[in-house]
Amino acid sequence: MGKKTKKLTWISVLQILTVAALLGYMQFAVKTGRISKIFIAAPTDIVTKGTDLAVSGKLWPHLLLTLQEVLAGYALAAGIGILLGFLWVLFPKLEKYMSVFCSAIMAVPKTAVLPLLILWFGIGFQSKVFLIFLFGVFTILYNTVTGAKQCSEDYVKVARVFEATRLQLVFRVMVPAALPSVFNGLRLAAATALTGVVFAEMQSAKAGLGFLLSEAQNNLDTARVFFIIILITLISVGFVKIIQGIEYIVCHKWRKV
Amino acid sequence: MPTIKISHLYKTYAGSDGEGTDALEDISLEIRDGEFVCVVGPSGCGKSTLLEIVAGLLKHDSGSVTLDGVPVNGTSRDIGVVFQSPSLYPWRTVARNIALGMEFSRVPKAEQEKRLKKYIELMNLKGFENKYPGQLSGGMRQRAGIARALVMDPKVILMDEPFSAVDHLTRCTLQDELVRIRQEEKKTVLFITHDLNEAVYLADRVILLSPRPGRIQEEYTVSTPSPRSRGDEYLNHLAARIMADINRGSREEAPEYSI
Repeated sequence: MGKKTKKLTWISVLQILTVAALLGYMQFAVKTGRISKIFIAAPTDIVTKGTDLAVSGKLWPHLLLTLQEVLAGYALAAGIGILLGFLWVLFPKLEKYMSVFCSAIMAVPKTAVLPLLILWFGIGFQSKVFLIFLFGVFTILYNTVTGAKQCSEDYVKVARVFEATRLQLVFRVMVPAALPSVFNGLRLAAATALTGVVFAEMQSAKAGLGFLLSEAQNNLDTARVFFIIILITLISVGFVKIIQGIEYIVCHKWRKV
Repeated sequence: MPTIKISHLYKTYAGSDGEGTDALEDISLEIRDGEFVCVVGPSGCGKSTLLEIVAGLLKHDSGSVTLDGVPVNGTSRDIGVVFQSPSLYPWRTVARNIALGMEFSRVPKAEQEKRLKKYIELMNLKGFENKYPGQLSGGMRQRAGIARALVMDPKVILMDEPFSAVDHLTRCTLQDELVRIRQEEKKTVLFITHDLNEAVYLADRVILLSPRPGRIQEEYTVSTPSPRSRGDEYLNHLAARIMADINRGSREEAPEYSI
C-alpha cells in the first residue's frame, strides 16, 4: 500500500466522462419525463432521499441492526470455521466423520433454507445471524483446512528436529503457515455476508436495510431503492477492506498483501 | 568410542502394491568424535533416508543407531539437522528463525540473545537479523539454516545436501565457511552430497553408497590436512576415482533394470 499517485491518463478521463454522461442522462431523462421515475432515479433525487432518511433518523436503527446481524453472523462463522478447520487437520478422523455432512449442507443453496430458519428462529435477529453464518462458515472452514494442510512437511520436520511440543507445533507453525489461506476465506466470506442478510431482511423482517429496501420497492420509491443499494454496496466493500486491512497489519511484514 | 555407531541398518519403504522398496541394506558405519564424514552416491541410493534415520525423523526396520552408546529413538537435542532447503519460517525474522529451537525448549531470553549474537556473527548474518526469509538470497537463507542448527550446540550435525540449491560461487564460500566453523566449533558432521568435489574438499572420510538398495560400496580416507586447496591434485584424483567407482557400481547393477 504505497503512496502511489494515480496518473490521470486519457483512459481515466474517458471513464470519468462516461460516468458523468450516464448520471447526466439519468437526471435529464427523469426530469424531462422521458423515462418514468419508477424505472430509474435522478441522481439529485437519490441524494435528497438519502439525506432525508439520514436526517429524519429513520435510517439509523435499520443500518445499526443490519450491521449487528452481519457482525454477529460473520464472527460466528469465522470463529467456528477457523476452529473447526484446525481441529480437522489435527484430528483427521474428525474430518472423515464430519466432512460428508458439511459437504451435504454446503450443497444446499443457503437462501432456500430461510423458511426453515424463520420457523426455528423467528423473523428477527437470530434467523438473520444464522443465515449469514451459513453463508460464510464453509468458505472459511475449507480455506482454513487447505491452509493448514499446506503447511509444508518441511516446516513440520524442522519443528520435529527441535522437539516442538504438539501445542508449539499448532500455534507456532501450523497457525501462522495457514494464515494467508485463512484470510483468503475471511475475505471471500466478508464479500458474501451482506448478500445473505439483505436477502433475509427483504423476505421477512420488521427492520434492517433489506426491510427498508423492500418497503421502498413497495412504495415505488425508486430513488430510495437506489440509495439503499448504494449504501449496501458501500458497506460490503468497506467490510472487505476492513478484513484486508487486518490481513495487512498481521502479514505485511513477511509477505505481499 | 565412536560418537555415532550405525550397525546392520536396514530400511524398506512399504509400497502401495504391497511390494516394498529396499532403501538401505546392511549399513554399518562408525563416526568418530569430531570426524567429518561425507556420504555420496547416485540419486535414490538412500542417502537422505540414512540421514533421516540418524536424525530420528524416520524409523528403521532393523539394525541399530547409537549416539554415544545410547540408541537413537526420535529426535534429540544432541543432533542438529541442516536441510537441503533451509525451510525457514517465512513469518519469522532471520533472528527469530535461528532462535526457533531455543524458543521451543524454553531457553531463557537473555541466554537466547547471547547465543543468537554469537552465531549471527559466526555465520556472517550481521545486519540481516530483522529481515524476513523472503528478503534473502538462497545463500543467506542457508546460512540462517546452519545457524539455526548450530545455536542449539548439538554434538553432531547432519547436513542433507545443504549447498545444492545455491550457485557455484556461493557454494564455494559456504564450503569454506563450513571448514572454518567446524574448526572453531569442533562438531562431528555427517554430510550428504552428490557433489564429489565438495565431498573430497570437506571430508575426513567419504562413504560411497551403491544404487538402490543403498549399501556401502566403498570408503575413502582423505588425509590431506586442512586448509585444503581446491586445485589439489590428490583431491581431484580422488574425486575422479570415486566417479569411476560409481560408474562401475551402476554398470554392475545394470542387468537388474534391463528387460
